[in-house]
Amino acid sequence: MTIVAGLATLAGSAGLYPLFSGGGWFVHALGAVVAVMAGGMLVRRFRVPAVFSAFGGVAALHLYLTAVHVPGAAWLGVIPTPSSERALADLIGDGWQAANQYAAPVPLVPGISLLAAAGVGLVAVLVDLLAVRLRRAAPAGLPLLAMYSVPAAVREDDVSWLAFGLGALGFLALLMSDSREQVGGWGRAVFTPRWSEEVPMAGAGAPQDGPARGERPDSSALAASGRRIGAAAVAVAVLLPAAVPGIHPRGLFGMGGGGEGDGGLRTVTTPDPLVSLKRELARQDDSVVLTYRSDDPAGPDYLRLYALDRFDGDRWTYNALQSSEEDRLAGRTLPAAPGLGAAPSHVVKTRVQVRPEVKRMTFLPVPYAPARVSIKGDWRVHPASLMVYSLRDSAGGRSFTVESIRAQPSGAELAAASSAPSDILDQYASVPGNVPPQVKALAREVTSGATTGYGQAVRLQRWFTEKGGFRYDLAAQPPQHGGELADFLLHNRRGYCEQFAAGMAVMARVLGIPSRVAMGYTPGEQNRAGEWTVRSRDAHAWPELYFEGAGWVRFEPTPAGPAGQGTAVAPAYSEPSSDAPGREAGQENAPKPGSPSSEPEPGTPGSGPRHNQDLGPADGPAAEPVITDDDGGGGFPMAWLGAALLVALMLLSVPLVVRLLSRRRHWAAVAPRGKKPRRDAPPRRRGPSPGIGRDPDPADAAHAAWGEMRADALDHGLDWRASDSPRAVARRLGELLELDDPGSGALGRIAHAEELARYSRSQQAVPPESLKADVRTVREAFAASVGRGTRLRARLLPPSTVDLTFSVLRGAGGRTLEAANRLDDLAGRLGRRVRRKDRGHPE
Amino acid sequence: MAVGTHGESFMETDPPSPPGSAPHGGTGLGLEGLAQVAGKIREAVESVIEGKSAVVRLALTVLLAEGHLLIEDVPGVGKTMLAKSLARSIDCSVRRVQFTPDLLPSDITGVSAYNQEQREFEFKPGPVFANIVVGDEINRASPKTQSALLECMEERQVTVDGTTYALDRPFMVIATQNPVEMEGTYPLPEAQRDRFTARISMGYPDPAAELEMLDAHGRSSPLDRLGPVAHDADVRELIEVVRHQHVAPAVRQYAIDLVTATRGHPELRLGASPRATLHLVRAARAYAALDERDYVLPDDLQDLAVPVLAHRLLPTAEAQVERRRPEHVVAELVARLPVPSLRQ
Repeated sequence: MTIVAGLATLAGSAGLYPLFSGGGWFVHALGAVVAVMAGGMLVRRFRVPAVFSAFGGVAALHLYLTAVHVPGAAWLGVIPTPSSERALADLIGDGWQAANQYAAPVPLVPGISLLAAAGVGLVAVLVDLLAVRLRRAAPAGLPLLAMYSVPAAVREDDVSWLAFGLGALGFLALLMSDSREQVGGWGRAVFTPRWSEEVPMAGAGAPQDGPARGERPDSSALAASGRRIGAAAVAVAVLLPAAVPGIHPRGLFGMGGGGEGDGGLRTVTTPDPLVSLKRELARQDDSVVLTYRSDDPAGPDYLRLYALDRFDGDRWTYNALQSSEEDRLAGRTLPAAPGLGAAPSHVVKTRVQVRPEVKRMTFLPVPYAPARVSIKGDWRVHPASLMVYSLRDSAGGRSFTVESIRAQPSGAELAAASSAPSDILDQYASVPGNVPPQVKALAREVTSGATTGYGQAVRLQRWFTEKGGFRYDLAAQPPQHGGELADFLLHNRRGYCEQFAAGMAVMARVLGIPSRVAMGYTPGEQNRAGEWTVRSRDAHAWPELYFEGAGWVRFEPTPAGPAGQGTAVAPAYSEPSSDAPGREAGQENAPKPGSPSSEPEPGTPGSGPRHNQDLGPADGPAAEPVITDDDGGGGFPMAWLGAALLVALMLLSVPLVVRLLSRRRHWAAVAPRGKKPRRDAPPRRRGPSPGIGRDPDPADAAHAAWGEMRADALDHGLDWRASDSPRAVARRLGELLELDDPGSGALGRIAHAEELARYSRSQQAVPPESLKADVRTVREAFAASVGRGTRLRARLLPPSTVDLTFSVLRGAGGRTLEAANRLDDLAGRLGRRVRRKDRGHPE
Repeated sequence: MAVGTHGESFMETDPPSPPGSAPHGGTGLGLEGLAQVAGKIREAVESVIEGKSAVVRLALTVLLAEGHLLIEDVPGVGKTMLAKSLARSIDCSVRRVQFTPDLLPSDITGVSAYNQEQREFEFKPGPVFANIVVGDEINRASPKTQSALLECMEERQVTVDGTTYALDRPFMVIATQNPVEMEGTYPLPEAQRDRFTARISMGYPDPAAELEMLDAHGRSSPLDRLGPVAHDADVRELIEVVRHQHVAPAVRQYAIDLVTATRGHPELRLGASPRATLHLVRAARAYAALDERDYVLPDDLQDLAVPVLAHRLLPTAEAQVERRRPEHVVAELVARLPVPSLRQ
């Protein structure tokens, strides 16, 4: 029992795999479970109360953790000492911190593996206590379920079916072993052995396994059905979601993530971009993030890390990336930037050197639009947004070269842009339904007079930077709840780059311009000729708007210069008119960082966190405010609704169609054969051989009529008993429905024909036509005698098709059962062999 | 005491007297002839037993199926009357045995007596040497005596002192018995119960029939007025017709299913025997013939299942405690088993 409990815990912990990168944690968890089991067994020997038995497990776990993780500080490497306790606590703190820093899968630092082992160990203690000590195997599933639900809650994608199956089987094994022991507790089962096979012949050697067979009660049938039920339940749980429309088990037959190198699609999970950026920005020192050289004659562009393409009403996020092998960079040219066409562009070569202190930078800061990236390691590109990321490598300490294509459209070109393709509009221009009308009105009011999308965008940007009365304010209180983006836009108008970027992107979407929020770094500052330095305070967020021909182009609503984001630069095309005042078009003129009002003072504690939020649209103030969920808005819900209705109608009409088809088939089989020979005619016992031009067996007509009538009766909700003979049916239905003469006469004729066809010696040919007419009469009589609802259901959703389906399935089911039985026999034989071998084993 | 015992001797012989209305006879009776003759017999019997047409039909079925009939009911509902009227309406030899606790086997089968004149043993046939033997209150005799009927009923022969004597055809035992709970009764052994094709119970007549009975019995016994309406040769022919009734394979399978279901039933200690299957199908043939059908329907089997099967079954102790009688079990099986729908 103890062993089974431990195995169940381990099987359940298999579900944790998506949380960790690498499988080393499992070894630690295994050790912890073994330690707990050993401790539990030891304590049970002393027959102490249940509470103490749990302590035994915890103590054993503690010893194990000490021995594995801080052997140096412990006495004899095992016994905890104050210093080892401190080391352990530190390690736990580290692990806790790491767990908070990373999104799953987390790297396996010692603290994390300690936490994992401790967690699994605690679950093992609980399971051991519940299942072994308190003999409550069923509630022991709760800690297992809790463990299983961790990855399900943390990760958006599903845990793989394999891990689920393992966990479920482990729990089932626990239940089984518990029941087995309970039955065993009654002592040896008494039964009547089958002497015929047990009694050895006089003089003959005793049969090898005779006594073994004799000792066991004959519960094999019960056990077999139990096993079958268990296996079927697990199978249904695994397979059913795949069959249900709307639930998409992404991980089915492919590990859901974290696995290495298989070619299938995987959902990329990285440390949360906003969290990791926050961490970098939170640094007290204004540390250098990277340096780069650029050969861009127009001065370097922003370095983009993320493109947040999804506005869910609260925040800007990006849709989960589906990563596959084909996305590897591998020295190839990246996919073309979407939408970039006629606009003038030039190739820029940038060589970036990321500082080694930078940790966990799994997205590369590259100028838009990257065309070719040379970097070591497994880096991949997201084709739609051209984000470059890695599943396991970090850019810290690496240098890489980027060739990017920088579009420099003129204002006129942008103004002349045609409307965006519908897929872009669908994805990037939808607005959740709950965007406050004031915001929509505001967007229209601000841009009134503009005739083109470009004109609207320019007006928006100008409104943010000049006319709207916005103040760049890092000291503003971070917004706490949704609606505050609206507040930012409508009322207080104080915020950071994040609010500005999010606000402009939302308003652009309101106006029908495809938009997204980009995150990354401003160009930073140039310290030597050609060498640019980007510091953590250069982190920035800005909107990207889509114009056909130029693709995604950057706008800059955040005030730049001393009173705004220090190194922010508005692109030339966004300021077409003469009023390009303080914000220069070239980066060379970018204000120096450190201007008193523009920069968060690096040393002040308060500025750091706020700046974090500046960069985190996903959980920052800017996005939370206004809106919810853009999936619900836009035009396509109607289309979806229509499609869903259509599908529902089609599904609903399946019974009807099946019914009509089966009716047709019934009668087609008995129709007098014409010229066409029927090759597929079923062989008949007595009738003429299925030759050409021969009339069908008269019995078939009767059977067809009978089958039809039966289906009609079922359709009208009438009771049809398998134990009724034809005339009993006719009698019962006639009495039940109080049929009139034509109805009961027709019913009687059909029943008589069927009776003759089934049981009599002679064949009386009843013309199928008259039977058909009788069936129709009876159907009308049925319909007249039931309520309207039933009648309608009989027409539209004939229940008899269910019966038909069952009869088809029953054949398949029988075969399956046979196969299952055979498998079960095999398993039983194997099990017996194994049991024979380790008979006498304590548990 | 049973109603309708005329004379207190335990043996009584109805002489095969040719009555005024000579029964219609002749060879080549088809199904129609069968129905005609059977109809006459029914009419005759029902003139004595009022309002019990289903019981009369069952009795006739057993006669045509070459079976033996066990009539079980409380005293006074006309068991013996039914037996006697059926026997009388056919022009054949009828013997009646009143079973008592001191009845000996040789009282039934006959004895070998020493003939002093011829100086050899001479066999004196007992009452079983008749076409119809009415065994009244059969369960009042000791099991030993009851068993004396075993050989005659199944093999239609009697072996006394090593000599086997064949019995006439048709041969039918109509036995009446009181319910086994009554005092002074011995339950029939299973082997003997199994030899009866059907067990029927009369049930009380409905009030109207009882009123009519009062009038009829008030003046004279209707049994006295009853004359034979059919010859024994007719009955033999009818039996021959019944033997050629068609039983579709599906119906045979249904019979097997029914019988098999009793064998595995959790509430039954003893299921139906293969002989029960034979009897069931044979009775169903006769039952269908009485309906003027030349083929057997599952309905026939369903109607006959309780009378033919129930008396052979033994309930388990638990079922007895729950007062579940084999009749209930059989009825439930009939209601549950699916009727065969295919011809194969």
